[in-house]
Amino acid sequence: MSAASSRTRAVTWADVNRDVIRTVSMPGNLYFGWLCLVGLTLMCGVMAWTYQIWIGMGAAGKRTPQMWAMYITTFVFWIGIGHAGTLISAVLYLFRAKWRTSVYRGAEAMTIFAVMTAGLFPLIHAGRMWYAYWLLPYPNQRYLWPNFKSPLVWDVFAISTYMTISIVFFLVGLVPDIAALRDHATGIRKKIYTVMSLGWEGSDAQWRHYRRAYGIFAAISTPLVLSVHSVVSFDFAMALVPGWHSTLFAPFFVNGAIFSGFAMVLVLLLPMRYYFDWYPYITDRHLDAMAKLILLTSLVLTYFYLCEVFTAYYSGDHFERASVFAKATKQYAWAYWGMYVCNSLVPLVLFWRKARTNVVLLYVISIFVLIGMWLERFNIIVPGLGHDFYPYTWGTYYPSITDSTIILGSFAWFFLLFLAFIRVMPSLSIVEVKEVLPHPVRDPAHAHGGHA
Amino acid sequence: MSGIDRRAFFKVIAVSGTAAATAGCQQDVNYLIPYVVPPENIVPGVPSYFSTACRECPAGCGVLAKNRDGRVIKLEGNPDHPLNRGALCIRGQAALQGLYHPDRFRGAVIGGRPAAWEDAERRVAERLATLVNAGQGGKIALVTGSETGTLAQLMDDWVKALGARSRVTYEPIAYEPLRAANRIVFGRDAVPEYAIGDAGYLLSFGADFLETWLAPTENIRGFVAMHSVSGGRAGTFVHVEPRLSATGANADEWVKNAPGTEGMIALGLLKLVLEAGAPAAGVDPGPLRAAVQGVDVQAVAAASGVDEAVMKRIAHDLAGSRSGLVLGGGLSASGVNATQTQAAINLLNAAIGAIGTRVRFGPDAAFARGGYADMLALTEAMGKGEIEVLLLGDVNPVYALPPGAGFAEALSKVPLVVSLAGRPNETAGRAHVVLPSLHWLESWGDSEAREGAIGLMQPTMAPVQIDGTSIEGKSVGDILLSLGRLALGTEVGAGPLPWADFGALVRAAWQGPLARSYAPDQAPIQFWEESLRRGGAFRQVAAAPVSLRTEAAQGAAAPAPLEGDGLSLLIYPSSRLYDGRGADIPWLQEAPDAMTQVAWDAWVEIPAERARQMGIARGDLVSLTSPHGKIELPAYPTELLHDGAVAVPMGEGHTYSGAYADQAGVNTGANPVQLLGGATDRASGGLAYLAVKVSLARTGARRPLAIPQATFDQDHREIAQHVDLAAARELDLRGKAPEHASHPSMYPPLQYPEHRWGMAVDLDRCTGCGACVVACQAENNVPVVGRAQVAYGRIQHWLRVERWQEGPGAHPENIFLPMFCQHCEVAPCEPVCPVYAAYHTSEGLNAQVYNRCVGTRYCGNNCPYHVRKFNWFYYTFPSPLDLQLNPDVTVRQLGVMEKCTMCLQRIIKGKNDARDAGRPVQDGDIQTACQQTCAARAITFGDLKDGQAVVSRLSASPRSYHVLEELGTRPAVTYLKKVVRAGGGHAGGGERKG
Repeated sequence: MSAASSRTRAVTWADVNRDVIRTVSMPGNLYFGWLCLVGLTLMCGVMAWTYQIWIGMGAAGKRTPQMWAMYITTFVFWIGIGHAGTLISAVLYLFRAKWRTSVYRGAEAMTIFAVMTAGLFPLIHAGRMWYAYWLLPYPNQRYLWPNFKSPLVWDVFAISTYMTISIVFFLVGLVPDIAALRDHATGIRKKIYTVMSLGWEGSDAQWRHYRRAYGIFAAISTPLVLSVHSVVSFDFAMALVPGWHSTLFAPFFVNGAIFSGFAMVLVLLLPMRYYFDWYPYITDRHLDAMAKLILLTSLVLTYFYLCEVFTAYYSGDHFERASVFAKATKQYAWAYWGMYVCNSLVPLVLFWRKARTNVVLLYVISIFVLIGMWLERFNIIVPGLGHDFYPYTWGTYYPSITDSTIILGSFAWFFLLFLAFIRVMPSLSIVEVKEVLPHPVRDPAHAHGGHA
Repeated sequence: MSGIDRRAFFKVIAVSGTAAATAGCQQDVNYLIPYVVPPENIVPGVPSYFSTACRECPAGCGVLAKNRDGRVIKLEGNPDHPLNRGALCIRGQAALQGLYHPDRFRGAVIGGRPAAWEDAERRVAERLATLVNAGQGGKIALVTGSETGTLAQLMDDWVKALGARSRVTYEPIAYEPLRAANRIVFGRDAVPEYAIGDAGYLLSFGADFLETWLAPTENIRGFVAMHSVSGGRAGTFVHVEPRLSATGANADEWVKNAPGTEGMIALGLLKLVLEAGAPAAGVDPGPLRAAVQGVDVQAVAAASGVDEAVMKRIAHDLAGSRSGLVLGGGLSASGVNATQTQAAINLLNAAIGAIGTRVRFGPDAAFARGGYADMLALTEAMGKGEIEVLLLGDVNPVYALPPGAGFAEALSKVPLVVSLAGRPNETAGRAHVVLPSLHWLESWGDSEAREGAIGLMQPTMAPVQIDGTSIEGKSVGDILLSLGRLALGTEVGAGPLPWADFGALVRAAWQGPLARSYAPDQAPIQFWEESLRRGGAFRQVAAAPVSLRTEAAQGAAAPAPLEGDGLSLLIYPSSRLYDGRGADIPWLQEAPDAMTQVAWDAWVEIPAERARQMGIARGDLVSLTSPHGKIELPAYPTELLHDGAVAVPMGEGHTYSGAYADQAGVNTGANPVQLLGGATDRASGGLAYLAVKVSLARTGARRPLAIPQATFDQDHREIAQHVDLAAARELDLRGKAPEHASHPSMYPPLQYPEHRWGMAVDLDRCTGCGACVVACQAENNVPVVGRAQVAYGRIQHWLRVERWQEGPGAHPENIFLPMFCQHCEVAPCEPVCPVYAAYHTSEGLNAQVYNRCVGTRYCGNNCPYHVRKFNWFYYTFPSPLDLQLNPDVTVRQLGVMEKCTMCLQRIIKGKNDARDAGRPVQDGDIQTACQQTCAARAITFGDLKDGQAVVSRLSASPRSYHVLEELGTRPAVTYLKKVVRAGGGHAGGGERKG
């Protein structure tokens, strides 16, 4: 494919329909190859989890004092990833940031799948996962309720709320696009799309209601963007552990979430742009905007990192100081400094204008950011617990094959969902992309674009 | 018949398939079958207590066995027994796992295969009869451990009746030099009573009296009485040893001497004492002065590495205290001149007037016996083919004797070796016939601790059942009676062995001579019953006067010569495994060593500097080569050791087989005795354990040690606190300073309507012995997790004894700190639990509801003390270890959190008993398992709402503090600071305030 020509071609409303509907056609071998790889990895993860349930949590490398380790690290990581979608679709919508139109659908799907992935981890992590439903406040004959003082119960509410709203918002946004797919589909697909498009005809009244609903959901979602990760950060901030017990955590986590979320959006969209030939829709302007956001959040994050170190030092608290010192110098120093490199140094490249539109560079930086953000959560949990109040139990956590496989499996689960999504749903918003294109005019040279 | 059509077939398949599937989900059906004829004295759910005497080491403490529904589930010390007074040591607590050991012999064994008991017995008896009838009884030999009382009497009668070789008593730790020195110096071949509690100044030359030396439980009680601060007074304890043992870690001053120079130092001190003034009144100065003739204190200082000034100070304080006591001769100080060392110590005791007061001949220890020389003679006879039948009691000479003694080779020349061991050991593995004796908890007997203290043993339960089948065995006495009668062809009631069984013999002895001697005014039957109830017969024995003999003045002031080149090898008995007989007990293996905190292995302590030079890190496998052997052990570099020595604990390195032993991995480590050549202490004939030097080499391999304590450095966190003696006195006068930290709360203060349970732990009393660790494990069904899990921070102990070091690394102040759930009032674990599994009871306990726990482990993270333990796996109790489980305590499931409950089941029982008696719970009604077994009485439990309770008074002590107080968790467990002497622990440095 000649990228140069396709990048510069002008698109019409008809092209949009065609380009999007093309993505849900029968995929090629490459797609199935990826699907197999991801599916196999997921199977390994499922088997590892089964083994862990059978043998006990000892199969995962946890110990005293690291009773939490990679599961919670990855849980927080995925919750963080789940941020960018809603931010792009809701917050940027309310701010009328036009460039969001071509990326928000993919980002939204990413959000939902990331939260679905994250939601597995409390189950994977629990010693008796078969009783995890006890965290829900359901009526029972024993009159037993969850402990509303526990941040873990707050998590249950925060995440389930976020998940519900995100899914509804996502489905509402899909309605006109699904209708477009419905009009082109046949057979079973047509039936499914018919149900999902909720009888969309594109009438003015429908459009008016649609816009209202979309705005309202955007308004409902916006505070959730802040609340979810703040609540997740309370898992740590409400605890006593040195390095956890800090009022900094909520903004720190939210910012980090946006940071990693945008990186993940880039990681997903850049290949899609390449394979689906979406150059007219996802242009350098989009990449530049997202790169700038990554740069900004990186700078803010660096500020938080410095704050963390400074408060530990300035508090004069022996435990806090020792904790930071241990993170920076002891057995986990590689993770600590790796985090700084990935999250604070590497994104600085984006100050360079050309880097912000260089696809390869952006991709590499995004991968670094994702690694860095995973390491950030790892640093909070594993070294933080490993060097806390009581020197007798200080220790080093070693990952086991079981927990590593489950972590890999969680990535596979996410990518499997995403791969499925891009083949059955419009991963580019037909409606909103059209909004930012010039309206079609009656031109004798062109037939009237058959839009929905 | 119409046959089955397609639809009918599906119906059948569906119904039967569902039935099969659901049936597969059911657990095995168990039926509760009521007794048709209820057994007498067994009330389901109500325990009975049987008093008996412990046989885990020769000392013979009194034991109360808690029998619940026909099986013993817990051992406690017998409060009436003068040796242990209600306390029990770590080995005593762990005896239950010997009783319920999965590898116990199920019955007789011939040639390694199970056999019918009668066949095995007949086979031995026929051989015995042949020899007896041929007048060759001398070819029969009987070797036993240190036995006392009726069993010893029976054995001697048996030997006489068969005309066998005189019985050999074999104990690896036999105190021969102590006896010999007493014979030489005082003319008494005995081990006296050391009244440690009466001493004001205690000087020990390598005696690990808080670990294994003589009767450690009694010693700990005495030591705490003399050493812990009370009313502003506290005695002083100085320990001389090349290595800092757990005993030395409790000393106010550790004097690091060159190995083998203890005798010289004692003589040097004697000289200094005599120079300072005449010996104590009534002591003949002649032998004393003669003994120090030619002793040059400066030369002693040069050879021993102990500063002359230090010796002068110790001599001054020892003589000046007027209540000094000198102990001597642990295993690591037993060189070829051990008797001379002990003699010098005796002279020192005589010079300071300790003889007759703190060293009391008269109530002599009955247990400290066992002759290495006899064993050598027997081995020689065996080697010459003079022994045809060798009967071995509960001894393990194949393991415990050095290879140079040649026992293992000589054993193969004996045509019939019979072992009476109850569990597999190396020696039983070499036996042709094993007639397993019953455990002491299943047997009749008696055990004489010392003159005037005889413990009576009774079966506390029927022989253990494994998978529904009783163990087939008899007590040693019964086996001997039966074999003897078969060999002699006599019947019950006639001949030299007329007793029906050993129980009858014990009864006869107690209703006969013992009753006449102990209770002349009482009916014998009454005396018998009372003794059964009380656990024995006890009376005061007056100290017999002894005087110095003129021959006492022997002994050259020279260090013990060692064979070979390199580093002196210090072999010391393990406080957990003793001489190795505890090595197959998982509780003991898993309890970390007090000093190194190593579990599940042996190690070699290497001076840190030398380890650095050789590039040896902790866990590196190093080889030790002596002129007689070579062993490999993981290295443990330490600063707490003389530069010229390496130290290895006894007890590991077993090689016997057993399914459970293999699975649990108890055959680990190496046996340091393998390095000895069998050199003996010249005067007493005892084996010299300090006899060789070894060369050290890296093997390149690694075997990381399982050490649950990450560091001994508190990193300024003031977890284990101490206070100077002078400051403690001042605190006593001023009272406790008000707490300055304020911890405001949004919540109203907690209300405790009835009780608020709390504990106080006095660090000044804790000696770090670790008995509480195993007591807790036994009481609370705490599983054993094994070496790998211990190494990886998954030890399940609810209670751990931490050792913290303060001050210079080479001469630290050591503080032992028992740590368990602090039952915080503002508990960090409680609010984070999403399901209220962790919650606060109205009695101030921090409860954990196992059934409700989901296993998020948030509480485990948030507990600053990390005392919460998670069930990472299904921990199992292989049969019959499951019979030991306490029915009052839940066995926890996989995936739940657990921790110390302050023995909730005991609290409930205490409250129920008080309610039944119609009175409120009184202080002392309830004792936790750790408290009950503590010989030092360092742990106190009680109701903090009761201002008069001991725990309340201790909690308000000026020395009291809470661990990590600044976190505001407000624990219900209060610690009392250890009291240290200024300059204490720093040998040679600083002045000592008394």
